[in-house]
Amino acid sequence: MKRSMHFAVLAALFLFTCTAARADMLQQFAGRKGKIDIAGGTAHIPVMNEAAKRIMTVNPDIRITVEGGGTGVGVQKAGEGLVDIGNTGRALSEEEVAKYGLVSFPFAVDGVTVVLNPANAVKGLTSAQVQDIFAGKITNWKDVGGADAAITLYTRDEASGTREVFWEKLLKKGAVADRANVVASNGAMKVAVSQDASGIGYMSIGFVDATVKAPLLDGVEPSQANATSGAYKVARKLFMNTKGEPQGLTKLFIDYVTGPECTDIISKAGYIPLK
Amino acid sequence: MRQTRPCRQNSTRFCRQLFFDRAARTLSCGAGFVSLATLAAIFAFLALLSLPLFTQGQWDSVLQAVWRPFEGRYGIGPMVAGSLILSCSAFALAYPLGVGVCLFVLGPGGGPLRRATMGVVTFMTAIPTVVYGFVSVFLLVPLLGRAFGGRGPSLLAAVLTLAVLVLPTIVLFLHGSMRETEERTRLTSAALGFTPLQALLLVVLPGSAAGLRTAAVMGWCRALSDTLIPLMLAGNAPQFPDSLFDSVRTLTAHIALVVAMDNSSPAFHSLFACGLTLFGVSLGAQAALRPRSGTSGPMGDRALGLLSFMAARPACRALISAWAVLSAAAVLASVGALLAFLLTRSLPVLDLRLFFGDTPVLPALLGRQPVWDGLFAACAGTLALVILASLMAIPVGVAGGVALSQYLKGTPAAALRFSANALAGVPSIVMGLFGFSVIILLRHTVAPEANTGLFLSAVCIALLVLPYTINATAQSLDTLPGELRLLGPSLGMTSWQSLRRILLPAAGRGILGGVVLSMGRAAEDTAVILLTGVVAHGGLPRGLFDKFEALPFTVYYLAAQYQSAHDLDKGFGAALALLALTVLLFRIARTLQGRMEREWKH
Repeated sequence: MKRSMHFAVLAALFLFTCTAARADMLQQFAGRKGKIDIAGGTAHIPVMNEAAKRIMTVNPDIRITVEGGGTGVGVQKAGEGLVDIGNTGRALSEEEVAKYGLVSFPFAVDGVTVVLNPANAVKGLTSAQVQDIFAGKITNWKDVGGADAAITLYTRDEASGTREVFWEKLLKKGAVADRANVVASNGAMKVAVSQDASGIGYMSIGFVDATVKAPLLDGVEPSQANATSGAYKVARKLFMNTKGEPQGLTKLFIDYVTGPECTDIISKAGYIPLK
Repeated sequence: MRQTRPCRQNSTRFCRQLFFDRAARTLSCGAGFVSLATLAAIFAFLALLSLPLFTQGQWDSVLQAVWRPFEGRYGIGPMVAGSLILSCSAFALAYPLGVGVCLFVLGPGGGPLRRATMGVVTFMTAIPTVVYGFVSVFLLVPLLGRAFGGRGPSLLAAVLTLAVLVLPTIVLFLHGSMRETEERTRLTSAALGFTPLQALLLVVLPGSAAGLRTAAVMGWCRALSDTLIPLMLAGNAPQFPDSLFDSVRTLTAHIALVVAMDNSSPAFHSLFACGLTLFGVSLGAQAALRPRSGTSGPMGDRALGLLSFMAARPACRALISAWAVLSAAAVLASVGALLAFLLTRSLPVLDLRLFFGDTPVLPALLGRQPVWDGLFAACAGTLALVILASLMAIPVGVAGGVALSQYLKGTPAAALRFSANALAGVPSIVMGLFGFSVIILLRHTVAPEANTGLFLSAVCIALLVLPYTINATAQSLDTLPGELRLLGPSLGMTSWQSLRRILLPAAGRGILGGVVLSMGRAAEDTAVILLTGVVAHGGLPRGLFDKFEALPFTVYYLAAQYQSAHDLDKGFGAALALLALTVLLFRIARTLQGRMEREWKH
């Protein structure tokens, strides 16, 4: 009895220190001034915005700007020192690390899925079919079990990390037809495919909602759970990158996003937090 | 020393006036040559940064017809073709429409409908490009989809929207020139017993050959240099299109999409080849427009023959009248549809929440509490940008205009005029690319802390609107009656005194009109800020070098990636707010210029 009392007190104490620690993370921003400029990966934007909102609500003296542009922008702008944090939707290449001296901080797991218009009858596709569709070999939905309608391709711009992951892991570095429409962000991909009944594109699983449909890939449901378990192969981590080791406010921000207090933001954005 | 002595003997006051006189002359001439220097700097940068293509032997790869950067193929051929096809198609649609509208406006009867049509065309110049793009994405693209099957963005959508965008440019140039010819030849035509339509076809059109040419070149250049409409509507696939429903990528959209590549990659350098191409074309267009002896006369015999052939046949005349009415109706319908759609979608959401989200208004205005989900920061950013850019462009532009009209003659004047016109023709995305590369260069050399932000955007926008201010000032001064010009010297004033006490006050309204007009341009431009420091979320800018939000970028951003119905509503609200701002500025400008005209023309 006494032991269990001790245990309960200990547990309560532990919980208390935990919550104190959690509150601490946000409290560390109190009294500080300055700005953090963030650019790059568009999958990251919802997480960055929400984290910025919480920090700036606690302390309006800190100004955090968030810009998209894609992974390429993240590498370029962080590398050139134009922003404090450059987000990437893929691991940096050795060249990029060597050239710019970038340091990476992963914070979430995210899958990349094929997306269709909800009106499309196709329920699932095989990897080979997806490769042929994007290479321009299959041009009509009836060839993969859909209606008789020409396929409209949507791909991402050169700067996209999502595109690189999709291209390497699903298309196996195969060709993408030149006639594919190019959109500039995950959000824009969702809007484009949701408005085109015969469209096909690909994007972060975190962005999937009722306006688009993610078909089964080789019979596997593209979900974050399957991406984490490894059952769904087209997955990547989301990274924040800084030029050299982060200092001051930037370090605080990165600690905050990778720390325990931000997991709900990351989950709500549709990603699986790391750890 | 010898020169100052007689001054001192006479009076220090006179000496001071003489000093002012010289200072004014030197400063304004110096200011005038800012535009020349900018033009040279842009060219130097574009050339310098595309140089590695030559030195590293990748030039032939850039000239290829395939853009697949991951396979090491950096051909800009498809983009050159895309730009040409899109601008030529839009022009081919807009030019006959523009001529039709002018025939309608100047046609028989006068009447309120014609005045209203001209009013609508003038109003169209105030509609920001991004608003045209935004409305097309949500109105035109679904309509085309329903009519031709759901294919999303296409060359056709971009052509139609771009035609509406360049139409006012064509009409305004042409109308000005035709009205002048019409006034000059009215009595002659009447004496020859021409009907109004015959007079238009046989006298006014042939007499406005220069205007027809200017309108054509300006209209086509406007179509070629636009970034937002192809970026939002054309689909951006780097291919040679087979049909109107295919997706194309223009040079301008290509720059906006690829600027994020590694700074030392051939892909990045190839952008400057794109910029150089666009720059060269706009320069060539200006050169083509330079008045040359022998070509400013009426049109060629064959065109004249065609016109008289048509004027002689009632069926042709009826057809032309019908075309004129049809063109005017098409213009009125498209503007009406745009406004009706924008208003019905944005009025229901137009309230304080749209601007301030859930933040109380007063603390938000004072900057004490950050605003989430509201347009406040974007409005403030745009306002800051317009003010900053105006502060830079107005003194330099007005001084340059004064130099052009008062101090410079011969070759320097011609050079300044050419550079101002050429600068006005530089696509804004090229200006943005220039600003961005200046920052990269500065960071690698003398100023490692230089960064994109409000200040850089303001400088680039100021350079963009500088030619408008220069031209408006020079034009206002030039339209003043000759006796006013002689008044100062006849009273023994120095040229500075005459300028300050007589000419500038008299031309003030016209100059102010030009200034407000350029503020409107500064408020609506999206392509420049896209590359020079605008962000999607960031709150109020705290300093000159901070990154900032801006209304036109918010409209562009939300059009492509709204994540909820609320986001989309916000996009419509932002489009309406931006439209209201630019229409207000243009309205003020036109009122001022109109007053100036009435005051001094008669």
